[in-house]
Amino acid sequence: MISVQQINKSFGQKHVLKDVSLDIPEGETLAIIGRSGSGKSVLMKHIIGLMQPDSGRVFVDGVNINDISYAELRRVRQHFGVLFQGGALFDSMNSFENVAFPLRTFTSMNESEVRNVVQECLSMVELEDVGLKMPSELSGGMQKRVALARAVALRPRYILYDEPTSGLDPETSNTIDELIKNLANQLNVTSIVVTHDMHSVLNIADRAAFIYEGRMHWTGTMDELHKSKDEILTAFVTANEYKIGV
Amino acid sequence: MKYSNEIKVGVTIILATVVFILGVRYFEDLPLFNSTYGLTAEFDNAGGLIAGNIVRVNGVAVGSVNAVYISEESGKVIVDFHVDKNIPVTEGSEAVVAGFDALGVVRLELKLGDPNVPRIPEGGLVSGLNPGDLIGQMTERAPEMMDGADRVLGQLEGVLAEANTMLASPESDFRQTLRAVQGSVDEVETLLSEERERISDILGNVDRLTADLDTAAGEDGEAVTALMDRLNTMMTTLDADLESYSATNEQLQEILRKLNDGDGTLGMLINDPSMYHRLDSTLTGINALVADFQNNPEKYLKEMKLVDLF
Amino acid sequence: MLRNTPAFILNPLQALGRYSQLLFHAFGAIPEFGTYRKNLWEQMVRIGVESLPIVMMAAAFSGAVTTVQTSYQLVFPLIPKGIIGAIVVPSMILELGAVVTGFILAGRVGARIAAELGTMRVTEQIDALEAMGLNSIGYLIVPRVVAGIVMFPVLYVAACFVGIGGGMLVGDLGGFVPIGEFVDGAREFFQPFDPLFGVIKSLVFGFTITSISCFKGYYTKGGAEGVGRATTQAAVASCVFLLLADLVLAVILL
Ligand SMILES: Nc1ncnc2c1ncn2[C@@H]1O[C@H](COP(=O)(O)OP(=O)(O)OP(=O)(O)O)[C@@H](O)[C@H]1O
Ligand SMILES: [Mg+2]
Repeated sequence: MISVQQINKSFGQKHVLKDVSLDIPEGETLAIIGRSGSGKSVLMKHIIGLMQPDSGRVFVDGVNINDISYAELRRVRQHFGVLFQGGALFDSMNSFENVAFPLRTFTSMNESEVRNVVQECLSMVELEDVGLKMPSELSGGMQKRVALARAVALRPRYILYDEPTSGLDPETSNTIDELIKNLANQLNVTSIVVTHDMHSVLNIADRAAFIYEGRMHWTGTMDELHKSKDEILTAFVTANEYKIGV
Repeated sequence: MKYSNEIKVGVTIILATVVFILGVRYFEDLPLFNSTYGLTAEFDNAGGLIAGNIVRVNGVAVGSVNAVYISEESGKVIVDFHVDKNIPVTEGSEAVVAGFDALGVVRLELKLGDPNVPRIPEGGLVSGLNPGDLIGQMTERAPEMMDGADRVLGQLEGVLAEANTMLASPESDFRQTLRAVQGSVDEVETLLSEERERISDILGNVDRLTADLDTAAGEDGEAVTALMDRLNTMMTTLDADLESYSATNEQLQEILRKLNDGDGTLGMLINDPSMYHRLDSTLTGINALVADFQNNPEKYLKEMKLVDLF
Repeated sequence: MLRNTPAFILNPLQALGRYSQLLFHAFGAIPEFGTYRKNLWEQMVRIGVESLPIVMMAAAFSGAVTTVQTSYQLVFPLIPKGIIGAIVVPSMILELGAVVTGFILAGRVGARIAAELGTMRVTEQIDALEAMGLNSIGYLIVPRVVAGIVMFPVLYVAACFVGIGGGMLVGDLGGFVPIGEFVDGAREFFQPFDPLFGVIKSLVFGFTITSISCFKGYYTKGGAEGVGRATTQAAVASCVFLLLADLVLAVILL
């Protein structure tokens, strides 16, 4: 259970998040949508305490993560898997080592167990053969998928995806969507998916939250999204060239 | 392969440590692998000795000074030092501070005792010799010495010049001249035999002081410099006098040869060749000494570490 | 009140505050040995072992040049040639060994650390470490600074060794001073405290260079341009503070 309560965040004069509140119950897949620069990534970073709000609070499992020690915050973070918008692969390690890194750091698995899990994660993102390649030798979409494999390697309870399918072809996008859905359904993962891709949203999300000009403009289930008469929301949704309900 | 980083780092660090320890020991002039043992000595005056100075036995570096400090109880200077384990610092060994403080080249000189008695134990006390203020004495006596030498040489020159003049006047009565020459030579002779002892005294003094200088360098650097200046002046004087000497000497020999060859009746000089020889040998002696001094100043100067002065 | 303080005073103060805070965090992360153990070895190899060739080359040349220059300056013929050794060896041990190493590492190691950490910052790799629940300061900064502190004295020793050796060799081959006289002169004036001072100095330099570069890199802002800025600043600031530390140590310890 993640609860964001009325957070405000400014960078200098720029007020990015304005009184944003959001509840994500256990097991739900929430899509955060909004225009570029509306503050989606900033909101995501607040949820794992990488950024501190100027005001407001963030609760994870009932704990205010802005009010605990660094050691405790790090323990909370270990329940999270995070896919950053740019992948954020460690460029000093090859793909295999990137995926193996959390396993080696936080588990006591032996090398062969690590190898099995890494191989399994890489095949989930359809990249069984790239283990020995360095991140700089991969395409943007491949980097993103390796980063996704790394984010899910520890089977976290919460997974934050920042634009998991941007830059991917439709077919691979579908694979990733299936993966997100499977993780959510089979392992009861709570997922937050930041995305522009309405196709994905409709495919995987239980609920959507629409950020507009730094405010939480609209939240609701997929059904409610279909029926919404909100002009700003429908403008955003239809701009994706998908006909809702088709 | 997995441990290669650890191995690289480990090897590098160990190598560096070894190089560091051996390097420091090398420049401390300690045997690279032999161990050493520590000793202590007590002095009234450290004479500028500091930690790190070399300890020598018979001119061979065998260790170095660890620390120099004033004892709280006795007020004396305590010097901690260490020497190579193989050096038999036996009971009765003595330590003395040597070298020139003014030049920063001070060391601890060890005079080993009887090799057949037991060694001084680790950390034991080596008796420290406190050198008298020899430099001071020498500095005081230097002008006196110089005056003496100057006077002797001046008189000699005068006498010989006189003899020269007499010879140059052809009208003078030959006998008279000869008598005068004889008288002059007598005078020279007495003078020389009188002064010779003083000269040799002076030279002896210089010799002894020179020998002492090496061990007895006090802390008064200025006195040393002054002394060196005076010795320098003396050298120049000796040099100048020497030239007139050898000229005069030749003339004198010429006279004597003439006398010898020219007239058999002039028995006096001939019958007393010893006088001539004495005169000659005295002059040659001075000549040789001065020439030696002039040609090999290092021989004298090295003893005194004069070279280091420049 | 703070609002009216000019930026040229406030900015350095703020930087100093953030630098101290970073060091404080790093210090707190030292007990988490497991976090950085593997990185520590790697950084020791990269900062220390891999810097050996360039440091040794620079030291050899500076030792040789010092010897030639000293003998050139000592024109008076009565000066014993051993004096050259007595000047070259302490120069190397007290100043050149540590400072030459320092400047080379400021360029080689300082710039690399800042570029690495800066890139990790702007590509969110540091955020990724943090998001996993790892202490990024412990993971990234502690091993670099510790490796600097441990390996710098090692490099210093190598620099002195090669520098003095180079000086001796050039002095002998160039006909300036035979090795024997060089060594005798050096021994005559050797102070055992000098190499100790050099080691202390190199410890401080190692800390200064790595911690400043980590600071610059860790707080990089603004993409590739920011990384470039951080890299330059790290090298320059390392050199400046290295000289400052050099002076302070000389005043305190000599
Ligand atoms: N570290 C930062 N410093 C200053 N401003 C920032 C910072 N991070 C984000 N911003 C600003 O906050 C605003 C929101 O940025 P954010 O990255 O959240 O956008 P976004 O919604 O994720 O956009 P996109 O879909 O393009 O990723 C932007 O205008 C950006 O300029
Ligand atoms: Mg974003």
